Amino acid sequence: MNTELSEESIRGEVFAIIAKQAKLDIATLKPELTLKDLGIASLTAIEVIFDLEEHFDVDFPEQGADIDSGTLQHLIDAIRDALAVKAAKAARKGA
Amino acid sequence: MATSDDRATVITGMGAVSAYGIGAAPLWEALRAGRSSIAPLRHPRAAELRVEVAAQVPADFNPGAHIAERTLTMLDRSAQFALVAAAEAIAQSGLDFTLGDLSQRTGVILGTGIGGETTHDEQSHRIYGEGATRVHPLTIVRLMPNAAASQISIAHGLRGPAFVVASACASSNHALAQAAQLIRSGLADVVVTGGTEACLTYGALRAWEAMRVLSDDTCRPFSANRRGLVLAEGAAVFVLESRAHARARGARILGRLAGIGMSSDAGDIVAPDVVGASAAMTQALRDAELSPKDVDYINAHGTGTVANDLAETRAIRRSFGAHADGLAVSSTKSMHGHALGAAGALELVAVLGALADGVLPPTLNLDVPDPECDLDYVANAPRQRAIRVALSNSFAFGGLNAVLALTRD
Repeated sequence: MNTELSEESIRGEVFAIIAKQAKLDIATLKPELTLKDLGIASLTAIEVIFDLEEHFDVDFPEQGADIDSGTLQHLIDAIRDALAVKAAKAARKGA
Repeated sequence: MATSDDRATVITGMGAVSAYGIGAAPLWEALRAGRSSIAPLRHPRAAELRVEVAAQVPADFNPGAHIAERTLTMLDRSAQFALVAAAEAIAQSGLDFTLGDLSQRTGVILGTGIGGETTHDEQSHRIYGEGATRVHPLTIVRLMPNAAASQISIAHGLRGPAFVVASACASSNHALAQAAQLIRSGLADVVVTGGTEACLTYGALRAWEAMRVLSDDTCRPFSANRRGLVLAEGAAVFVLESRAHARARGARILGRLAGIGMSSDAGDIVAPDVVGASAAMTQALRDAELSPKDVDYINAHGTGTVANDLAETRAIRRSFGAHADGLAVSSTKSMHGHALGAAGALELVAVLGALADGVLPPTLNLDVPDPECDLDYVANAPRQRAIRVALSNSFAFGGLNAVLALTRD
């Protein structure tokens, strides 16, 4: 069902999760900012990643997701890609 | 603290269980040849895990060949490693604990990060995974973190102080430091000391995955293309002895534990700290009554994470000033992986080997120099270099630092 999510709704959910975990005002979040820009330390960053994985029920790759220096847009893209992979797998199983 | 000569501490025996098999000699021979033991993860659920590689004790490790069946049933894998390594170290030392009051004057201080993790994981799986209501009756005696120290004490009849030190990745070095203090203070003449770890369980591997610090191919300390650390398991155990005691019995001395340094960052729970790491190195030198320019070699903590590599490099520069460019630094974790609570002990085998043989073990996989890591890391190939003084660094999660200074006697 997550596969139906629009870019805006993914962004909204991502921002809500980050704001909650990092105790930030959601209005301060912008796609072009990095977690580092937001003052989110690496330990909080991996908690954010965990929360996102749990929320969307996806796995981020062990490497490649440049968590600290990648932008929030990169996180949104990574989730959209992971959701697409998951949807493709589900479709294959269903077929 | 200056120590009177007769309370100086020397090493008269060593033993190991590592990814190179049983024995300190196979471990050192591999490291001095620059041979890695990092390999694809061997685990029943490897296909499900994101962890790709590890440095594991070989599959043919057969504890039953070394430990009586009655004892074996009481042992977690981590205690098996410790007992096998201790037997080798004690045999090499030539000590006979039945003589005089030696058994009373001998302690056991081991380091472990986690203790009986394999037991904990297996029995938890029974209860929560399989719905069992009964666990193995020896679960408690297997999983208690002090089990390894207790089992060595029991196996060899050692009646002095015995306990375990837990400081994550610095556990072994903290244990060695504690052992030295026991001897210096006169509370013991001999301490069997080192560290053990066996924590490559499904649960622990999942926990490490979640921290996102693991490499998916190999360990590349100080290299710009590093991808994180590689987990390992094993044990190394040493016989630490007062120099007077060792000399009186004509023991062969493998090296001197000349100084110890310990500090806490009191800052971030995981990020290493330049000031804290440097303080421990400087303290180890002062404790050994050595100056920075005396140091020829540092066995780095060298985990292969960005955070460690940069902080450790800067900490070395902070402690050594201009002499930082005159000494060699290598991370043997590039070969034997990161055995957490056993790491410092495995690395002490490398340091004693380097002191004895005049060969520095390399940092493997240093493929792409990192401009921010600008020391001499003995990149990719071992080097002939006679050394007199070496440091061995361990910096743990929790901001706990422990550094050992070793010299030839």
